Amino acid sequence: MHSILVIDDEADVRDGMKRVLDRAGFSVRIIDNATDALLELKREPADVVITDIIMPKLNGVDAIYRIVQEFPSVRIVAISGGGNFDPSSYQPAAITTTAYLLAAKKAGAHHILTKPFESAELIDAVERVIGAGHG
Amino acid sequence: MARLRSRFANLVTGCVVAVHLILLPALYFGVGYVIRKSHEDLFVQHARTFARILADEFEVGAALDSAARTEDLLDLAIIHGESRYAELVERDRRIRSQLGPPDITAPKEPDMRFAHGGDDTYFIVLPIMHAGQSAELRLGFDERPTQTRIQLALNRMLLLLGAYLCLAIIIASYLSNRLSRPIRRLQDVSRTIASGDYAQALDVSTGIRELHELAVDLEAMRRELVGVNDRLQEKIREKEVSEARRDELQKQLRHRQRLETVGTLAGGIAHEFNNVLVPIILFTDTALQDLPPGSVSRSDLERVLASARRAKNIVQKILTFSHVLGDTKLAPMDLRNVVAEGVVLFSALAPPSIEIRTEIAEQVPLVRADATLAMDLVMNLCTNAYQAMQGTQGVLTVGLRVPPSAAMPSVELMVSDTGHGMEQPVVERIFEPFFTTRPVGQGTGLGLSVVHGIVESFGASIAVETAPGAGTTFRILFPAITESARADTPLGSLEM
Repeated sequence: MHSILVIDDEADVRDGMKRVLDRAGFSVRIIDNATDALLELKREPADVVITDIIMPKLNGVDAIYRIVQEFPSVRIVAISGGGNFDPSSYQPAAITTTAYLLAAKKAGAHHILTKPFESAELIDAVERVIGAGHG
Repeated sequence: MARLRSRFANLVTGCVVAVHLILLPALYFGVGYVIRKSHEDLFVQHARTFARILADEFEVGAALDSAARTEDLLDLAIIHGESRYAELVERDRRIRSQLGPPDITAPKEPDMRFAHGGDDTYFIVLPIMHAGQSAELRLGFDERPTQTRIQLALNRMLLLLGAYLCLAIIIASYLSNRLSRPIRRLQDVSRTIASGDYAQALDVSTGIRELHELAVDLEAMRRELVGVNDRLQEKIREKEVSEARRDELQKQLRHRQRLETVGTLAGGIAHEFNNVLVPIILFTDTALQDLPPGSVSRSDLERVLASARRAKNIVQKILTFSHVLGDTKLAPMDLRNVVAEGVVLFSALAPPSIEIRTEIAEQVPLVRADATLAMDLVMNLCTNAYQAMQGTQGVLTVGLRVPPSAAMPSVELMVSDTGHGMEQPVVERIFEPFFTTRPVGQGTGLGLSVVHGIVESFGASIAVETAPGAGTTFRILFPAITESARADTPLGSLEM
């Protein structure tokens, strides 16, 4: 059974993903921030990490950099729904989403997924990164 | 001015009259004296000569011998000698011509000068010696004809001087008018110029050198004024155009700011909604799996899922107006307009410490791009360059050209600053979102990641040239549209 660590600051989002992935037969742990997630990975490794990009404290892109360096075997799926942090530095939402996900991919994410996604898309993404990892 | 003008003419005429009123009486009295003197001298000389001849006649002739003969000679003096009194006095007899007026009496002493005694008669007394006897010849010459001639001469002279004075006044008046005409013309043109009409040339023709030079100087001044006026008018027009342009830019900025505010709101809502929709979709999916087919709850949850998918589409629509990259329509365009407009827009925002230069080629090939995104690209690069030079004087150069050594036909957009430059490790991360070298609160670090996103969406590439302290140059290479590429469909959505 493959283990998955879900990182998202939104409780409902991470719970929803856990429910879907649990049912799909994965061993799922959830955590609400990237800093704690790195400690959790040290404590107990995971096969796949699913991480949000826009999060307080450590953002998803930096988290991916750290995971790639510290845990090279971990497969990573990045998820984002776009958004802005500061009204004074507005950028079109779709561009930020694109920029975040591009940056995530450049940082080392193996797959990217735009929120909102369906159960099947999530399971498909996880299976693809695991399959690719094994392949 | 009208008063001054009339004074000038009057002054000249008045001066002429005043000078003549002083000179003419002096002339009159001077010349009158000479005339009077010469007439009087002529009269006295004639009288004395006549008296002498008559006395000689008495002395050498035999007139004294006969009373009748003496009377004849005395009558002769009255008739031919312009005398009015002729008398011979001897010891015991007095013979007087009866032809003269009887009421005249000879004075005891002879007159010493003309018009002496106030009796209109010039008396001469001559002693005569004849045959041992002495006698006195007393002659009185009529002064009135001479006085009449003198008066006549003086009157003629007065008449001549009067005529001369009139002529002088007429000539003075004519000359002063002629003198004041060019001055009046100068005055009229000066007034026209003063009223704001600089078109009328100062073509004053006058034989007076000073006035001519004054007119030439005034004409030079007018031409200078015309030049200054034209330049002022031109500046006013430029100012009006630039103010209109500034108003238009401000309008665009306000519009952009409004869009940004709405876009920020929409982006924020979209982000929140996407996060809300994830659990709705996922939990509904799993719940559906637990329900038997045909149950009411299953049908209800299928409707929840359908609604969630509708909500997802609505969020996408909300985002569409603020440029959903996937839906961006890339079209052939000339980047020169966008770049020029972007620079103008940025100039309105940039502080005066930043000098903005543009090096835009006269002609570049078309590229596939989206105008608004291309504008965002220019603005983001300019903002980044400005931030690199913040707090210092600097030069921001925006260039657009066909690169001379590119493998493919392409167009190069260049944005260069004279700011602090970057170390190599920094350069490697500048296109990452959240990556910033600025202190917290002075930038989110999204600008260059957005630039990168836009560049990728255009199928272009970006390169950075920089070194610490040597400024930074971004070069974006757009593939130019070739004839064969024109037939192709526009670039698709960004591949993720």
